[in-house]
Amino acid sequence: MNQIINSLLASAALLASGSAIGQYKCADYHRFNGDPSGDKRFSMNGQSKSAMVQVGKETELNIIIYRGQDYRISISHDEKILGEQLAIRLVEKIRVPHDETIEVITQEAVLDEQGNATGTTQEVKTKRKERLFNDEEKVLWDNTEHDMADEVEFSCTATKRIAVEVIAPGNSDAKPKKSGETNDIGCVGILIEHMPTPVLGFEPQ
Amino acid sequence: MKTTVLSTILLAALVTSCGGDPKPTNDAGPGLVIGGDGTEATVASIYQMPTPNELFNLVRDLAGEGQKRMLNPAGNVDRYVSLQGRAFNFGVYSTDLVFASYFKMNVEVARYYLTCKKLADGLGIASAFSDADFVRLEANLTRGDSLELISNDAYTKAYTKLQDEKMGPVLSLVLAGGWVESMHLLFRQIDGAGNNPNLMARVGEQKVTLEHLLDMMEPQAGDADVANTMMELTAIRDIYDQVNVKRVAHQGASTSGRMVLGDDVQMELTSEKYQALVDAVEDLRTRMTAPEDKSNS
Repeated sequence: MNQIINSLLASAALLASGSAIGQYKCADYHRFNGDPSGDKRFSMNGQSKSAMVQVGKETELNIIIYRGQDYRISISHDEKILGEQLAIRLVEKIRVPHDETIEVITQEAVLDEQGNATGTTQEVKTKRKERLFNDEEKVLWDNTEHDMADEVEFSCTATKRIAVEVIAPGNSDAKPKKSGETNDIGCVGILIEHMPTPVLGFEPQ
Repeated sequence: MKTTVLSTILLAALVTSCGGDPKPTNDAGPGLVIGGDGTEATVASIYQMPTPNELFNLVRDLAGEGQKRMLNPAGNVDRYVSLQGRAFNFGVYSTDLVFASYFKMNVEVARYYLTCKKLADGLGIASAFSDADFVRLEANLTRGDSLELISNDAYTKAYTKLQDEKMGPVLSLVLAGGWVESMHLLFRQIDGAGNNPNLMARVGEQKVTLEHLLDMMEPQAGDADVANTMMELTAIRDIYDQVNVKRVAHQGASTSGRMVLGDDVQMELTSEKYQALVDAVEDLRTRMTAPEDKSNS
């Protein structure tokens, strides 16, 4: 009997470790399933990341790209759950200033002809200009305009905040869970590689 | 034997029960549209900060030698008592570690590795700085490239550990310390190399990383230490906000032949605004790196 219990415990441990491996695999999905560039000058960027993504829910990875660097961003994903192709966009996030005139209402003491306080107050409206900032987004690249490409290479001539946005359509052939629920969460790996922007051709004399 | 067979059958049954018959779902997949109406509220946002080595790699060729006196003294490590002090200064020291490795300050690399390890113990992320890695580091003290890799690896492990353990407030403070120290080191390099316009431009560009950091910290703003640090950083952002920024469409192709992503951006950082930034960052750094036993006595 003890042997049976031990075997069951061992089996349960095996299953638990399988689950842990599953989670581990997602955290490092971009390392093991990503498709690194054949160009050895590219090195992996520390902002690369993998995450669980829900079908139909937009997920974004916010990163910084530096001036003077070339980047390659490639995306791998669990096709069985998330579908064959993901929609991917690179969006710049910008704080845009705008001047706004603000009306300020203050209570001021009413003075008599001699300049003495009368004990009453009045509302005084003044206007002043204030610089405010809005967060704006600017789409820089959209894979729906590039044959649903899952990788992009570019040069960066100004340091920018960008979001790598992905959305998954889902796989209509995906196996449902035993409970009947649709399994709609799968792993996406975003592999970012960079190198100093190389100069091609002959240097000017 | 019977036991083994029985347990195998039970295991098989258990595994099978987790699957079930494949039933095609009737749910149609959503359209491939990003950024449609009403999506903003449901977007899952993940933030990553660039590791300090990216910046140091870009400025290394522009700057002079790294100097020990630029770094936060390692001897202060035991004098950070509060969680805020330890977390912020872990960011400071780990940035110093990466800086030391990029500027071939080999003795300091070993010293700051042990300093970071000590603080990491107090923050519950000791596994990022293993004894085995230190042995590897000691064995490579004369190999600059290996030191860069090992120190950067340690930084990344600590960063990942903080993310994995969902230590959001601590991670926010660590990254804030790292940002402040990166700026401090950049300022000191400019002091040494003269007003190099390329280095000055890098200072201007750090506006973007500061905005990114503040956005990243926002979900942790309920924590008093994070809120306090955000207030300090927002004051620095206010100085950046006074700097004129010009955005112009990039002309021509990249020298690498790749497409250029987005506009060129020119920050018109005047010497007055530069000095205001130096004063604000150095004031914050001085206060945050002051030994707490001293300030509390």
